[in-house]
Amino acid sequence: MVPAAQSDCIEWEASLVQRARGGDVRAFERLYRDHIGSVYGLCLRMTRDPAAAEDCAQEAFFNAWRALERFETRSSLGTWLHRIAVNVVLNRRRKRAAQVELPPLAAGPGEEPADPPEEWTLDTPIEVHEIETAVGDLPDGARDALVLCGIYGYSHGEASQMLGIAEGTCKAQLHRARALLRARLEPESQRL
Amino acid sequence: MNDPAPPKITRLSELPREIAPPHDGWPALEARLRESRRPQAAVEAPQSGGATPARYRRPQLMRIVSLAAVLAAVLVGVSIDRWILSPAHPIPPSVTIQHVGSSGGGMTVAYVTDPRYVREREALLRSLNVRLAKLPPPTRKKVLQSLATIHQSMQQIQQALGREPGNALLQELLIDTYQDEMQVLSTVQEASGGAGET
Repeated sequence: MVPAAQSDCIEWEASLVQRARGGDVRAFERLYRDHIGSVYGLCLRMTRDPAAAEDCAQEAFFNAWRALERFETRSSLGTWLHRIAVNVVLNRRRKRAAQVELPPLAAGPGEEPADPPEEWTLDTPIEVHEIETAVGDLPDGARDALVLCGIYGYSHGEASQMLGIAEGTCKAQLHRARALLRARLEPESQRL
Repeated sequence: MNDPAPPKITRLSELPREIAPPHDGWPALEARLRESRRPQAAVEAPQSGGATPARYRRPQLMRIVSLAAVLAAVLVGVSIDRWILSPAHPIPPSVTIQHVGSSGGGMTVAYVTDPRYVREREALLRSLNVRLAKLPPPTRKKVLQSLATIHQSMQQIQQALGREPGNALLQELLIDTYQDEMQVLSTVQEASGGAGET
């Protein structure tokens, strides 16, 4: 059962969406201000560039405004905005082709992590900026999976849909990201 | 003096999901939204013409046109451009935020203060049932649904203003909602035979 406060919040957001659909820019501003932090955070982690992240977040909200008719108010606006933002970032990345994508990894036997993303922990506590830097240094595919599953809490299914890849590929990328992070962040002496 | 040690975490899920962007991107986005909406608005209501008279209030055209798009489908015989361009276009409301009740208690309320606007709105509301009776049942149903949505929005914005009385955005939203209501009421008036028939 949805708590009353949360239900009010969803209704309030739905009414803002309704108004924005009718062309009410002020209602959309309210939605923008409620979600920009999360959308920008996602874009920043995927692009690793504050200016590019700002552009992508802006583009994501612009696309959202134009596609509001297609949004179903019973689903989560935050998730919908994230989906749009991921699309924007991936399109931008494809267009720029500045970075050669590593071929997607197939999920081989024994490669799939058994634990859900949020359960994974580092053995040693690490400073936030150090983790952010390490995440930023990951290859694109691995970082995308890690950001969506590890930081934003999406399931493999949701993340793979957003990224346009197979679920097994997403799991493999996440596994790879964790291995790279662990290697980077945890001293060898602590690793078994 | 030593700085406190930076916080350490062991889980990625402990990283903040929200990061504030370095700049407020809203003004640029708003300009873009308004720019992008214009051609779409012209498509939605071709009768309103390509030119946008300067006397329109900034956000109004989009709302009027979108409302018109909804109502145009049901209000047979109503010339959308006539009511948009009418010189008797509804008086824009103004909102006052006040704290009412005894010292330390009470609640914050927002209400429309312009007496001309209040009078016009009251007159339209009084005659609404009579005017609705002149409209075809499907049209009547659509109008009542629109008004119910508008009134629900008003209520929610009022409640939000009670929590954040200084929020300019909410105040503007409330004004916009009153304007939306006034436009629906005016359209009903036009469709049912004009002001002289009550």
